[in-house]
Amino acid sequence: MNWILGPMLLILLIPIYESFQDEDIWQKMLAFASVSTKTSIMILVISVLRDDWMIGVVGVLVLSVGNASLMLLAQVLKRVNE
Amino acid sequence: MIDQLINIVSYGCIVVGLVFWLWGTWPLVGPRSVLYKLHTLSVADTLGSVAIVVGLLLKIPSEWPLLIMALIALAIWNTILGYVLAYCSTEEPND
Amino acid sequence: MTNVMTDWDLAAITALLPIAAVMTILQKNPYHALVVRGILGAIAALVYALLGAADVALTEALVGTMLAITLYAVAVRSSLVLKLGIIAPVNLPEIELDNGASNGQQDAQQNSNPEDLVHPVSKSLEEIFNLIHSFEDPQELKPLLEDLRVFCDRHSLRLELHPVPDRQALDHAMETKEVHGVALVNGDSSAHPYSVTVRVERLYELMQTELNPAISTLSTTTIKPPPAEKPLVSDASSR
Repeated sequence: MNWILGPMLLILLIPIYESFQDEDIWQKMLAFASVSTKTSIMILVISVLRDDWMIGVVGVLVLSVGNASLMLLAQVLKRVNE
Repeated sequence: MIDQLINIVSYGCIVVGLVFWLWGTWPLVGPRSVLYKLHTLSVADTLGSVAIVVGLLLKIPSEWPLLIMALIALAIWNTILGYVLAYCSTEEPND
Repeated sequence: MTNVMTDWDLAAITALLPIAAVMTILQKNPYHALVVRGILGAIAALVYALLGAADVALTEALVGTMLAITLYAVAVRSSLVLKLGIIAPVNLPEIELDNGASNGQQDAQQNSNPEDLVHPVSKSLEEIFNLIHSFEDPQELKPLLEDLRVFCDRHSLRLELHPVPDRQALDHAMETKEVHGVALVNGDSSAHPYSVTVRVERLYELMQTELNPAISTLSTTTIKPPPAEKPLVSDASSR
């Protein structure tokens, strides 16, 4: 099962590269959204691989907190751009 | 027999999820508009992640409460996030 | 199934952390840096979870990513601003005049009635509010403001206009540090149509090299606190 993390890591590199290369703030936000979801799913996979409940709970929390922070940041950025 | 079948289905789910991830994340690098990228990204991140989590669920059912919670969080919050990002990234002509 | 992480996976994922950190440092625009900081936070949470520190990962996600980014976004938005005082007709009397002018013919004799004098003002309070908030660039300042907006965009500043009725109010706004600078329209005889005065040293240095010298003359002043605050002090002592 360990092989999952390799492809996941490679796919994770795409939005990271995008966030570095694109100058538009909303494109960066999209990359952030992508990274946030992907990392939390990776945390979940790791927790399942190790059969570690504690890490699993953190994965689920990071999943929802990352989304919440993205929404907050998006609202603030919208106000800024007005 | 059943064990093997479940194993195959779970691997299948995980691979489909990874393919979804790759398919939806790849257009992010291109010069497309924000909304187009948002569309492919939300499909990839939601459906791909759901597929991966379902694969994990079939493989290791002992952690089902966590994984179900992850499924619900993904389905609700990623959808809402898609709407919020689309709303915030488009300029309104008046006001 | 336990302990199956290879060293290579561990090393590869951990290597993402310094990469994201360097990316954060290289961002020039503060808002872009904030977004990349969010990515750094997500990756940091992943690495901490990978290394088995669930509590650290949770703290990083809650505080490092969510709280810090939101607070910094608000802080950057409220501090990176250039307040520019300009002389512009004040909205309040203008509206009164407008209302009076539109109804001028038939209301000529009724205007002596005090109730009618109150009425247009109270009706237009909402309009005043809207006007102040949708304050548009004054026509005569357009070229200068375009130049300034380019300057502000380059340094990710926000340009905020503070319209005041006359020169005296402008000087007062400068003395009380309500504005960072003032813009004036020169007379026709002058070679430059506008003159800009800023009281912030750093702004002056940046503007000196980047503003279009054909449009405006630039000068700086230092506001000396003691003389400006003298009346305030005497007020305070009488309190």
